[in-house]
Amino acid sequence: MRTIRDSMVLGVSAAAVATALLAGGTARAADITITMAAPDWPPTRFMKEEFDRSYQSPDGHNTVLDIDFIPWPSFYERVAASLASGEQKYQMIVTDSQWLGAFVEGGYYMDLTDLMTADPELTAIMQDLHPALVSAYSTYPHKSKDFIADNPFPAPDTRYFGFPQFPDTYVTFYREDLFCHEGEAAAFQEKYGEALPCTYEDWQNVDWDTFRNVGEFFRRAKGEPLGDGVADDDFYGIAYQAGKGYDFSTMAINAFIWQHGGSIWDETKAPEAQAEGVVNSDVAVEALEHYLSLLQYMPPVAQTGQMDIFVIQDLYMQGKVAAIIDWVGLGEPVLDPSSSVVADKSAFGPAPGLRKEDGSIDRTGNIGGQPFVLTTWNSDEVTNEALNVVKWWLKPEVQKNFVAGGGQSGLVSVMADPEYNSLRPWNRAHVEMLDWQRDVWHVPDFFELLTQQQEEYDRAITGQIDAQTALDSIARFQQQLLEDAGLIQ
Amino acid sequence: MAAASPHDRMAAPEGAGGFLAWLMAPERRGPLLVAPAVIVLFVMNIFPLLWSFGLSFFNYRANRQDVPDFVGLRFYERVLSDPDVWDRFQTTAVIVGSSVVLQLVIGFLLALMFAREFPLRRILLMLVLAPMMLSFVSVGVFFKLYYEPTFGLLSQFVSTFTGEPFVLLGTPTGAIVGIVVADAWMWSPFVMLLVLAGLVSVPKYLYEAAEIDRASWWRRFRTITFPYIKSLLLLAVLFRTIETFKLFDIVYIITEGGPGTATETIAVFTYRVAFQFFRTSQSSALAYIILFVVIVLTNLYLYAVKRREQEVA
Repeated sequence: MRTIRDSMVLGVSAAAVATALLAGGTARAADITITMAAPDWPPTRFMKEEFDRSYQSPDGHNTVLDIDFIPWPSFYERVAASLASGEQKYQMIVTDSQWLGAFVEGGYYMDLTDLMTADPELTAIMQDLHPALVSAYSTYPHKSKDFIADNPFPAPDTRYFGFPQFPDTYVTFYREDLFCHEGEAAAFQEKYGEALPCTYEDWQNVDWDTFRNVGEFFRRAKGEPLGDGVADDDFYGIAYQAGKGYDFSTMAINAFIWQHGGSIWDETKAPEAQAEGVVNSDVAVEALEHYLSLLQYMPPVAQTGQMDIFVIQDLYMQGKVAAIIDWVGLGEPVLDPSSSVVADKSAFGPAPGLRKEDGSIDRTGNIGGQPFVLTTWNSDEVTNEALNVVKWWLKPEVQKNFVAGGGQSGLVSVMADPEYNSLRPWNRAHVEMLDWQRDVWHVPDFFELLTQQQEEYDRAITGQIDAQTALDSIARFQQQLLEDAGLIQ
Repeated sequence: MAAASPHDRMAAPEGAGGFLAWLMAPERRGPLLVAPAVIVLFVMNIFPLLWSFGLSFFNYRANRQDVPDFVGLRFYERVLSDPDVWDRFQTTAVIVGSSVVLQLVIGFLLALMFAREFPLRRILLMLVLAPMMLSFVSVGVFFKLYYEPTFGLLSQFVSTFTGEPFVLLGTPTGAIVGIVVADAWMWSPFVMLLVLAGLVSVPKYLYEAAEIDRASWWRRFRTITFPYIKSLLLLAVLFRTIETFKLFDIVYIITEGGPGTATETIAVFTYRVAFQFFRTSQSSALAYIILFVVIVLTNLYLYAVKRREQEVA
C-alpha cells in the first residue's frame, strides 16, 4: 500500500519533471553582450543611442550592444588586426563591402544564407532591400546588381553575409546663396549660355561639362565679388575626391570609368575576365583624363593628392568652395551651425554625370556606406540575438528614425514612403543616386589592388605621369597579382 | 628515527614559509629582483622577435587560416630582389641623409648660440627644446596643416609675394623637403643638447691661451672646440640616423608616402606589407633586413660611445 509520504514524493518528482520539460521548451533569459566594431561617426553613434533607447529582445534577453567606436583612418587596420590576432573580440562588425572577400576567406565572417532562408522575417528583409545594396553589401563571391535584380533572394548559387547598417551614396552639396543669386546666375548665363543650376530639378540636368563651368565660374581671388559680398579668401568652384589615402581617388575615378563605358576588372566573370586591355582600355584612359581635367578648378590641395572626403567637407564648411561631391553620411555636420559657416546656405542635388548621345545623363557611381556582419565564433544564442538586433535595426519605424537623424535606409518600402524625401534635405538625391550604384572588387587581394591603384592615380593627380601610363601600370600589376591569386587564368 | 640535518632542511623546505625563506636567500635575491624585467623583456621583445623570425621562413598570411608551409629563404630572396624595396630604401636614404645633415647644422648653430649667456637664454632654451618633447602625431598634424595650400600658413605667406597658393607637397621633391623640415624641426634640439654638452666641457683656459696667441675664430674652432665635440657629433649623427631610418609617423601623417610613393620610407612600406596586404612572412623577412641595418648602425653608435668614454677618461 502506498503511503502518504510515497505519494508526496511522487507528486513532487512529477512536478519537477514537468517544470524541467517546460523550461527546456522555452528560451531562458540571458545576459548577452554583443560587441560590435564600428567606425566612429554619426550613423553608428545614432545606432547605439537608438539601441539603448528602444531595443527590447524578443527572446527576453538582457542584451547590451557594446560598440567599439574606431576612428575612420585606422578602422581597417584595427578590425583586421583584431581578427587576425584570434582574440575573437567582436560578435558583429560594421565592415566596408570591399573587405568581404578577405574576411570571409579568412573564416571570420559568418555565412548567413541558411539562417536568412530559414527565417521568414529575414527573408522578407532581404527581398525588400535595394538590389545594389544586396549585391555590394551581402554577396560573396560577388554578384552584380543586375543579377540580384533579376534573381531576388534567395538567388541561385549565391551566398549572403551582410545587412546594410548605413547605405551611402555621394551627392552634390552646393551653396544655395550663390547658385540662386540673380547676379551670379545672369553672369553665368552670359558667359556659358546656360542656366546656373539652382533648384534640385536644375541639378538633375547638370553634367560634367556644366560642373566644369561652375568650377571655372566660381573661382574668385580674395577680395573679388562673390554673391552679395566679396570673397574673404581665395574661393573655388568645385571639389571631389582626389586623395591618396584608402579608396578616395578610386571612388571618384570608378564613376568616370563606368560612365564613359569602361570597366574595372570584373570579378563576377573570374577567372575569364582579364585586367590588361580592360583596365587600361582607350575608354578608361579617356575617362581618367576627363577626371584629371577638372582638378584645375578645385582647391590647390587637389594638387597634393590629399583632397579626401573629409578635406572637401571641411573646405565646404569653411565656405571656400561653391559645390562639392561628397557622401551623404558627411552631410549632417554641414547643416550644424556650430561646425559650418554655410549651414543655412546649403542645398543638395544628385551628383553630376556624363551626358549621353540621347541627352540623358549617366550617373553611375561607386557605392559607399557599410553593411554589418556576424562573426563565425558566436554561439547559437549570440547569433540568434545578433539577428534579432538586425531585425530590430531594419524595422521600418527604426529606419525612419535613423533617416530623420541623418542616416539612410536600404529598404525599398521605407524609401518609397512619401514622407521619406522630406526627412532630410539630401534624401531625394540619395534615393535617385542609389539606382546608379555599383561596387569595387570584393576579392581577398583588394587592399593590394587598391593601394597600388591609389599610388598610380596619385602620381597622375599630382602631374607626375599621364592617364595612359597610370592605367597601364595598374593593369599590369592587377593582371600579375590576380594571376598569382588564381583569379585570372 | 634520526633527526634531519641542516642540509636536509634546506633541500626540502617545509610549507610556504620555508619556500619563501629559500627563495629569499641572499644568493637568489639578485636574480629574483631582475626576474620581472627579464620576463617582461622576454614576453614583449624576445618572444615576438623569435616568433616573427620563424615566420619569415614560412608562407603565412595572418588574415588567412591556411596552414603555414616552410619555404626557407624564399621571402628573403623575394624582398632583396624586389625593386620596390630598393626604391623605398633609396627614398629612406635621401630623407635620412638630408634630415640628419640639416639637424646637425641647425643643432650645431643653436648650440653655439646657447653656449653663451644672454638675456632670456633659459626661457628661449626651453622653447627651442619643446619640439622634441612633442608627440610625432602632433608634429605630423601641425606640419600637414602648416603646408596645406588653401589655408596653411606657409601658403598664405608665400602667396603674399607670388599671388598664387604655394603647393609644397604637390611634387616629389617638395614632399621630401616637407618631411625633412618637419623631422629636422623636431630633432635639431636633440643635436643641440649633445653639442652643447660638448661645448661647455671645453676648458676655458684653452680659449684664453688661444686669445693670447691671437688665434683666429676658425683656428680656435678647429683646434680646440671641434676635438671636444667631435665624438658627441658622431653620437648625434648615429643616433639620429638610426631613428630617422625608422621614420614612420611623420611621413604617414603628412604625405601618406605620396605623391605616388615619392616619400614612402621603408618603415611605411613594411607597415603596408604587414598590416594592409597581410603578407606576414614577407613583412617579417623585410623587418629582419631592416633590423640588420639598424644593428650595424647601433654597433657603430656603441663604438662611438666607447671612444667618447675613453676620451673623457
